Amino acid sequence: MSKKNKIYWFEGVTEKGVKALLNDENSKYQWLRPQRNRRILVILMSLGLVLTSLGSYWPTLKTNLNLSPGVGLVIYSVTVIFVIFATLGCYSFLRIAVRSIADAPDELLDERQIAVRNTSYRYAYFILCYVLMGLMVLMFFGPELQMFQPEGNDGSYVVIAALFATAALPSMVMAWREKDI
Amino acid sequence: MLFSMSRNPEEPVYNRIEDARLALGLTRQELADKVGVHYQTIGYLEREEYSPSLVLALRIAKSLNQEVSELFSLTPFKKGK
Repeated sequence: MSKKNKIYWFEGVTEKGVKALLNDENSKYQWLRPQRNRRILVILMSLGLVLTSLGSYWPTLKTNLNLSPGVGLVIYSVTVIFVIFATLGCYSFLRIAVRSIADAPDELLDERQIAVRNTSYRYAYFILCYVLMGLMVLMFFGPELQMFQPEGNDGSYVVIAALFATAALPSMVMAWREKDI
Repeated sequence: MLFSMSRNPEEPVYNRIEDARLALGLTRQELADKVGVHYQTIGYLEREEYSPSLVLALRIAKSLNQEVSELFSLTPFKKGK
């Protein structure tokens, strides 16, 4: 029992934490494991990412609703915080649903899990590239969309969403494609 | 198949892991512990959705007291054999 819990700083996981998830030690998370529930989580996570990335543009909604500046700011702030935390919650559940395989170091995984993880990262990379390419095409060749002209903000929510997406995409890909056994 | 996990989806590796495991009265978890993999991996192998490496095939054969050629084949096994 006194064995030291190794921390993998680069991956951001601990040995005991990964092993507990891999060995299904906590049965209260079993409901996350069926493919249907994993796919629902992936859809919710995607929705959260889209909403978070649009956070910079929500102030225009506030003005459209004709709310007073104070009330509008409170509604806006609470909604943004809720969306960010909900997305973060989805990401935590996703990691549990795929037993943290996407974040675990090689030495804690078997050969199939390593193969699955590597394939997931490959597809996550392509998905990210295609999304960014799509946005670039829209920016250069599309109509002058409001979403590319944030007024009075620095677009920081797009950066937050991009960070979330970069971290979560491998788990999302894995959660979507892994079959039930 | 877009997300295939097989090493070579064009040439699947057939196996009799489940038959051999059940003959020894082992659960997937018990075989997984003997071989040193996750129990899900045994499930994927038995469903022929994953082709093992040579090292894993040898370890499985040893754990099930069989020869690799008795457990794995590039052609489907005949039923009852």
